[in-house]
Formats: sequence, structure tokens, C-alpha cells
Amino acid sequence: MLTFRKQPEDIQRPQMPADVVIVGGGPAGMACALRLSQLIDEHNAKNSDSQLSKENIYVLEKAREIGQHCLSGALLDPRSMRELLPGFEKEAPIDAPVSKEAVYFLTEKSKLKFPITPPPLRDHGNYVISLNRFVKWLGGKVEEAGVTVFTGFAGSELLYSEDSGAPSVAARLRVTGVRTDDKGLDKHNQPKSNFEPGYELQAKITILAEGTRGSLTKQLIKKFDLMKDCNPQTYGQGVKELWEVPSGRIAPGEVIYTMGWPLTSREYGGAWIYGSNNNVVSLGFVTGLDYPDPRLDPQHALQEIKKHPLVAQLLDGGKMIRYGAKSLPYGGWWAIPPLAGNGWMIIGDSAGILNSQRLKGIHLAIKSGMLAAETAFESLKNDDFSAASLGSFQKRVENSWIKEELWKVRNFHQAFEHGFWRGMLHAGVQQFTGGRGLRNRYPAIPGYARMKKLSELPRDGGPEAHLIGPAKGDGKLTFDKLTDLYHSGTKHEEDQPAHLIIHDTNICESRCIREYGSPCQNFCPANVYEMLDDPAAPNGKRISLNPSNCVHCKACDIHDPYQIITWVPPEGGGGPNYDGM
Amino acid sequence: MKILVCIKQVPQKDAPLKLNESGTWIREDVSYEVNEPDAYALKEALRQKEKHGGEVVAITAGPARAQHVEDPGFVGLDAFNTARAFAAAIKDEKFDLIFTGLQSDDYGFAQTGVILAELLGWPHATIIMQIEKSDGGIKVKRELEAGYFQFVEVPLPAVLTIQSGINKLRYATLIGIKQAKNKPLRKVTLAEVQAAMSANLQKIERMYIPHKTKKTEYLEGSASEIAKKLVDKLRNEIRVL
Repeated sequence: MLTFRKQPEDIQRPQMPADVVIVGGGPAGMACALRLSQLIDEHNAKNSDSQLSKENIYVLEKAREIGQHCLSGALLDPRSMRELLPGFEKEAPIDAPVSKEAVYFLTEKSKLKFPITPPPLRDHGNYVISLNRFVKWLGGKVEEAGVTVFTGFAGSELLYSEDSGAPSVAARLRVTGVRTDDKGLDKHNQPKSNFEPGYELQAKITILAEGTRGSLTKQLIKKFDLMKDCNPQTYGQGVKELWEVPSGRIAPGEVIYTMGWPLTSREYGGAWIYGSNNNVVSLGFVTGLDYPDPRLDPQHALQEIKKHPLVAQLLDGGKMIRYGAKSLPYGGWWAIPPLAGNGWMIIGDSAGILNSQRLKGIHLAIKSGMLAAETAFESLKNDDFSAASLGSFQKRVENSWIKEELWKVRNFHQAFEHGFWRGMLHAGVQQFTGGRGLRNRYPAIPGYARMKKLSELPRDGGPEAHLIGPAKGDGKLTFDKLTDLYHSGTKHEEDQPAHLIIHDTNICESRCIREYGSPCQNFCPANVYEMLDDPAAPNGKRISLNPSNCVHCKACDIHDPYQIITWVPPEGGGGPNYDGM
Repeated sequence: MKILVCIKQVPQKDAPLKLNESGTWIREDVSYEVNEPDAYALKEALRQKEKHGGEVVAITAGPARAQHVEDPGFVGLDAFNTARAFAAAIKDEKFDLIFTGLQSDDYGFAQTGVILAELLGWPHATIIMQIEKSDGGIKVKRELEAGYFQFVEVPLPAVLTIQSGINKLRYATLIGIKQAKNKPLRKVTLAEVQAAMSANLQKIERMYIPHKTKKTEYLEGSASEIAKKLVDKLRNEIRVL
């Protein structure tokens, strides 16, 4: 019997006042905290009679240590960092500037190199970094600046207050802070002897920087119907392995992108290969979470591409040292919800501020955090946290190079909804029309809605046969999911309720298993979901969860075809350990 | 009761360990956590303080990550020198009890506490599962092998090395973490305690990652002969019976 995490009733919760609470200590959240601290320092130096305090500015981070849930390729476009910390290159952990780049179109056995690197994929001037190490460093700066970072604490609920006289829901409700996770609940949701209830952090400004598909952001979007005028967000699933290879295989700063095989023209995605220091290679594969065959498995796709001679030769004799997975939002400009309201702002990947054409979001996340900090600073100074005051964040984004960059690619991902070849053609047209294509705004449909039922698909998988079902792995070059998962360093308190909330398990056992073949088992990169034999279940199998395996990628919340899974944060401190990723 | 707790940071259990160039230790670019037995020792000290009043002081030695005995010179000390540094650092304070974790998750010496007791001339007891105040001092429960326990009376002051599981660890609270920033902190420099120390007596010559090997052997004969051979192997070769 599954017990899902929920708030225990009738408990006294400790409270703590705050000026600003930033939920999530990734690049967006840390840049926001640091910029806010800078602005307060500048203000205080000039205004000895009206000092602002940093004492009550907090960053909540659900990982045990700063940066441990950060996973990306990663290439850093330095534009925003140069604004935040001029000369940051001298001290930041940068592996190498991009030295060489290539794009290949792959077929199963051969490769075709693009004669010139398409302009959006030109990366000279960018840096190969480990996002984990980079954020650890940036977080150190935040702490040095006097802002408190609470690691091991997740934001699990938003707090609201209501002004009944106001005309609309959005105007009536004010976000008044965050409730942190309850610690010490057992498997059955009962408090253990060391139970610590979550705090109510009552904040003047709550900034959501939770990364892709943030759980509080999801609550907020639903409450205020924030996506009503937007395209639905679309997502990709990035699965990554870090490898140590024999020296001389790839230069630090060498960047390779692939398109084509192992995907067919019906799926969107491709691989990245970045050469880092000390013969470390970052290898990842992004699969658009809008593929038709529910049996497809993104972790399997990563294993398949390693068998291609281009990759196999690179990795031969090497050793896989780390594994992880994370979803990314690539709906682009039309899928960005309103960014601020009464008491709240949304930044970074939580808002979908990512350039899907360049596959880059870190610099935009940082910039959005900085602009949110400027907004928060003005609001603190004027003691005004209304939608009118915080709403200036929206204008700041629209007047910044964030919009300039995203506007040009506003229809990029939509172009690929009808397959790879039409997408390439369409993207080409957009390149010449400033991103417009033939229309200004192309609609999109959510990726899960593109999933086809098993009855509409060839039984053997057809052209996708090599991608369906679990990867077997040879233990050297390719790995099954559990072997990969072991390398993610994932750890949770075992005795706690499941944090993957399935709102109706009957659907899993009676409908999904027949209609889609339980795709949760396939798109989850961490074997959290399992269908176990059970003669009592309607189709002979019942759903079972291994929540301790969860790497917090959010793919299940995004991609389940019935939209009945809600990812909520487990007990703070649990999750993967992405050291070096 | 005034209690000193010796704590250290160790690489997180699930950290991706890689050996350094010389193959004598790991590369340090991993995340650290409180050594688990030390966390139990700290919790036990706080519990004793709740019951009997007094004060709890924590001491640690290491690089800038750590707080108290702070100098790169304190990195990579053997148990003997760590104990000598601690003894010198606390010489002007009067503690009733010193707790250490039973052993550290990285070096696993299980010696620092015992040597510290010897240097201070205090009694010690190891693998502690329970502490009660008694008339003359304390009564402790030690964990022995195979489910046996030993109860010992110990006069104060004393050093105890604490076994994991002695209590249920608490979660840190937001307010606790915030207040911790304002706790008094004394930094001890290498110069203050160097006179008490010497070159390490222990040194790691070489570290390596064990090679996994697998051997398959077929036992032949009738069922009862095979069973007999199997029991013999399990008992005398693999020694699991």
C-alpha cells in the first residue's frame, strides 16, 4: 500500500519572518541573492541614515550541499556573469574556454559533419564548466556576502494571505512566504520521535528559483492560472554521464553536438560531448519529452549513442564516473508565464527562461536572477511588495537582452513538432526572418499529449525498436539503469512517505498499463516506478514506487500521459550528489 | 557538566572518490559531511546537557572548512598528532567529559579519543551505547561482539568514544542554524599547539581501488557429496558458516 507525503494536520509550526526568501540555490537563485546583496551594500555605503539589512534574506536549497542538485552540460555564456562579477574568470572554476566545435548528423554506422557549424551552435567565447562546482563557488560568494543559505531545506508549500475586497484572484491573493519541508515523517506519514515540522517563513518577497518544473511554481501557476495566455511549456529530458578517458582523446574545450541517430526523424533531441580538464568528458543526451512511442527510454537513448563509432572510440578504455538526469524547459518565449505578482517573482528555469536553440539557460537564469534582485531591492526600499511594484520585473526582463535573445528563437521548438526534416527547413526560414517564420506566434501542444497509444504503434517498435524498453548494458561502455543510478550518488532517508504523489493509482493499473504500457517505467531515469506482478490487480500488475532512487529530474511530473503525478520535495537533504557534474 | 565533542568532516559516503596523483589519498574536490559517529557523539552531549545542565563545546581540526583548530597544517594528521593538538588546544579549559565518535568514516583509526585520554591522564571507555550519571561519576554501556554488552563505572573526567545509534539524531532547525552563526568561536593556530606535536608516526603509503574478481567452481558428485563439499568450502575456505 502506497502512502504519499502530505502535511500532518493540527501541528504547531515554528515561524520566522523574512524580507526575501529565494527558493532554490541554483545559478538563478544564487545570482539573485548575490546581486541583491551588492545593491544593499551600495545603498548602505551611500545612505548612512536609511540602512537596509541582509539579516533576513534567505536562500532555501533542498540539497545537502550547495550545488549538489545542479546538473547541466555545461557551457557557460559569460555575458551575465561579467555583469554580476566583472573579471569573474580569474577566480571561478572554469574548466576550459571552447577551443573547437563540430556538429554531426549521425546514421547508425556513419557520420556526416556539418561543413560549417550552424551559427546558434557556435560556442567560441563560452566556457566549459561543471555547473555543480560553479554554483558551489557562487554560493560561497553569497554566504561570504552575509546572506544565509539553508541547505537541506526545501520549499514545500506557498503561504498566502487574502484581501477579500480585491476584484480578481490574482489581486486578492498575496504570496506571504513558504513552508519548508517536514522532517522526520515515517513511511505512513506519522511523525517519528525526531519529527521537526517545517517552518513557516513569512516573507515580504518570495522568489521561485526552483529549476525546471518547480513544485511551488506549479502550485502558483495553477492557483493563478498563469499559463492561460501562454503556449504550454515543452520539455526535454537530459541524461548525462561523466567519463574519464585515456589522455589525448579530446581537447579541453572541444565541443561536439550530434543530431540524428539513435533518434529517428519523429523525435527531437541530440547529444552533447564536451571536453573538460583531466581527461574528463561530459557526455549527455537530450530527448524531447514529446516523442510518440511511450516505450521509448531516454536513458536507453544515451546508451545507444555510445555504441556509435564516433562516441565509442572516444570512450574506449575509459571509465564512467558519474550519472545524472534533469529535465529542461524549451518552450521558449511564448511559454513563459507572467513573472511577478503580489509578493512573488519567478526566475530561471522555473519560468522557462532558456534558449532552446542554443541549448543554453545558465546565463539567462543568472540574468533573470539579477533583474529580480534589482526589483526586490527597489521594493524593499519603497516598502511596497504589491503586484504593481514587483511587476516591474516583467518590464525589466522585456527591456533586457533576455527578451532580445529569446525573441529571435521564439518559434524554434514549435518548428520541430512535425518531425526533424520539416523542423530543419522551418528553423532555416526563421533564421532569415528574425525568428518569425511564416507567423509571429506558433502554437504548441504539451509533449505528453503527443504520446500515442500502444494500439496505434507497431508491436516491435518499428524504426524505434532499438530505443524501447530498458537498456541492458555491457557494463563497460553501456549500462543498465540501476548501474547508472548507482553513479548518481542518490540518497534519501528511507523511512519517509513517497514524494511522488500519484493522484489515482487505479488509472495506472487499469488504464495506463493497457493503453500506454506504463511509460513511467521508461521515462524515469532512476527506476523509481515499477509495475510488479500482482494477481489481485486488474491487469496482473500493480504500481510500486522506489522514491529513494529519485534524482529529482521531474520527468514524471511532466510527462505522464494522464497528468496524475505530482512531484513534491522529499525530506530536505535527500537527492542526488552531483559533485563534479 | 562541561562536555567537549571532537568532530571532523569526512567525504560524503556517496561522493565520487578519485585517487590523487601520488595515489596516497583521494582528490579533495568532493562534498563533505559530519562524520556520522561524531554526529551521534554531539547529539549525546546535547542530551546530557539537557538532563544535567552545563555546556557543550565542539572542537575540530582541519582546513578552512572547519572551525576550531584551523590551519592547513592540521590536514592529514595521524591520530597521535590530532590528539596532541587537541590536548594542547584545551589545556586551559576544564572539561568533565570528552566525546569522540567511535571512528571516522575516512581514516577509520578509532584511536584519537583513546590517545587523547592517555595524553590527559584520564580514563576512557570505547564503543559507548548508553551513559548514566552515577554517584562517583558515570555508568556506561559498551557494545561488545555478538550482542553482548558490558557495563562499566567510570570516574570523571573521562573520554568516551561513542557508537553510532546511541540516540536518534535530530534535524537541524532553521532557527538553530541561524543562531549557530552567532556562537562564540575560538580559532587555534598551528603555532599555539605546534610545540606539542611531532612528525606523523603513521603515513599512507599507497591507496588503490580493489579489483573485483569472480571465480566460478563446479562441485561434482552425488547430491549429498556436493552438499558436503559445499559446506566444507563455506566453513573452511570462505568462512561464512
